[in-house]
Amino acid sequence: MSDLLNQLSECVEFGKVNKAAPFPPQMKGMDGADEITRQAIEQGVAAQDVLTKGLMPGMERVGVKFRENKVFVPQVLMSAKAMSTAMVHLKPFFASGEAKQKGTFIIGTVLGDLHDIGKNLVAMMLEGNGYKVIDLGIDVNTDKYLAALEEHPDAAVGLSALLTTTMANMERITQEIKAVYPNTLVTIGGAPVNADFSQKIGADYYAPDPQGVVEFLNKQTA
Amino acid sequence: MIYEISFRFEELELDEEFISRELGYPLDAMPEPFPFYLSEAQNLASSVNDIVGSYQLFEPSQFLTNGRSLHLKGVKLKPGKTITGELRESSHAALFICTAGKTISEEADRLLRGDDPVYGYVLNVFGSAIAEAVADRLQERIQAEAQAQGMQITNRYSPGYCHWDVADQHALFSLFEGKTGGVSLTPSALMHPIKSISGIIGVGSDVQYRDYHCDLCQMKTCMHRKM
Ligand code: B12
Repeated sequence: MSDLLNQLSECVEFGKVNKAAPFPPQMKGMDGADEITRQAIEQGVAAQDVLTKGLMPGMERVGVKFRENKVFVPQVLMSAKAMSTAMVHLKPFFASGEAKQKGTFIIGTVLGDLHDIGKNLVAMMLEGNGYKVIDLGIDVNTDKYLAALEEHPDAAVGLSALLTTTMANMERITQEIKAVYPNTLVTIGGAPVNADFSQKIGADYYAPDPQGVVEFLNKQTA
Repeated sequence: MIYEISFRFEELELDEEFISRELGYPLDAMPEPFPFYLSEAQNLASSVNDIVGSYQLFEPSQFLTNGRSLHLKGVKLKPGKTITGELRESSHAALFICTAGKTISEEADRLLRGDDPVYGYVLNVFGSAIAEAVADRLQERIQAEAQAQGMQITNRYSPGYCHWDVADQHALFSLFEGKTGGVSLTPSALMHPIKSISGIIGVGSDVQYRDYHCDLCQMKTCMHRKM
């Protein structure tokens, strides 16, 4: 059984979606995340273990490699695709409560900005690390974050900005969220922001890459 | 005179280097599914008719610069010290708006958010390359017009770069009298379709074309920064 889970980790790490998928070339013709997840469940492996011992370690390894510039965006997306293919088989177990996600993360690109590739990567990486993700899209103002928080009061929030001119909106949105939900964790990211800026605007954490925010949230939920 | 020019995908020479770099593989050694996705993207791009570039050239009588701001037909633009400095020697100026179009922008967005993020990303990169290629083609036309009058052009600069506030795009767009190639602005100054770029090029007999230097930009942590 641990063999299957190890194989599953590898499928996620290298982005092997299913047997028919040509990617990655070195795994051509082998079973992928799709087949192996199905086999694991058929063999009675608990859905929670498939998630935490199979899928998540693979996603974590790719997150670390991305941080170290050893893989590029497309490879991370391949991993996310393998992950989401596997998750389809786990959906019923989440619905029944037999398997649980670690927490909820609400993310959006802030008002005045449209750059969303980085934000999408963060969303996928969190999902791959066991979080439920609510993606509010681009050009998002405070009211949307607040509405999502009303529905998920225990969620943490992620704000993304790529334009220096939208950093001011990030500051305002952080403060408006904190005014209503002082205990909600607000994390920020995007090329022009940094830890100093995060501190200055009263956010809780800045991460330069998706893995950073995963590790931060893991510490909170541990 | 405002020119609004439709481009067929085949007329655009995409920057293959850019595509290869953003995908992280050399073009001749790309593993599947990337070549497949690229050919799908190419097929889609060949079938659309909303790739458009608009531009207009402002004569000296319509263009004024005082070192801090620009006035084009009386409309004020404030590109900031750096860009105004780069345009200093210009007697004329050209404004442009380019778009890879609604079809590609929306399909890339739809795929990236759901159905197939990998293809979505490839189409995103492809769409960015198209928008840039349209800007390249307009720049060539502007250069040809300038040269015909014995003038040169500067590099192109966009709102959002070098502290030029994107909100200035409202003023920039107002000068196009609706001939924006189908591109519109949200109240927060985002262009729709997403895969669009806008900007300015300086023209004059004494101007110099300078490569876009990273030292013009304040973003010290940018992944594309060349040290
Ligand atoms: C791709 C791109 C585009 C694409 C957008 C595609 C899309 N769907 O996002 C297109 C071509 C449409 C575009 C257009 C524009 N762009 Co643009 N664009 C870029 C570019 C080249 C790459 C951004 C990117 O995707 N990076 C890859 C991802 C993976 O990295 P990332 O976003 O930084 O995210 C990572 C981290 O930052 C972090 N992260 C991100 N968000 C979050 C959130 C949290 C919570 C956490 C923890 C972490 C985190 O994790 C991610 C993964 O590691 C950048 C240059 C750059 N170096 O950033 C310019 C750039 C962002 N663009 C810029 C500008 C100005 C524009 C325009 C406004 C220009 C114009 N006027 O025409 C237009 C606006 C278009 C519009 N519709 O209104 C400028 C911004 C300058 C500034 N600092 O203000 C940049 C920096 C280019 C430059 N050198 O000046 N752009």
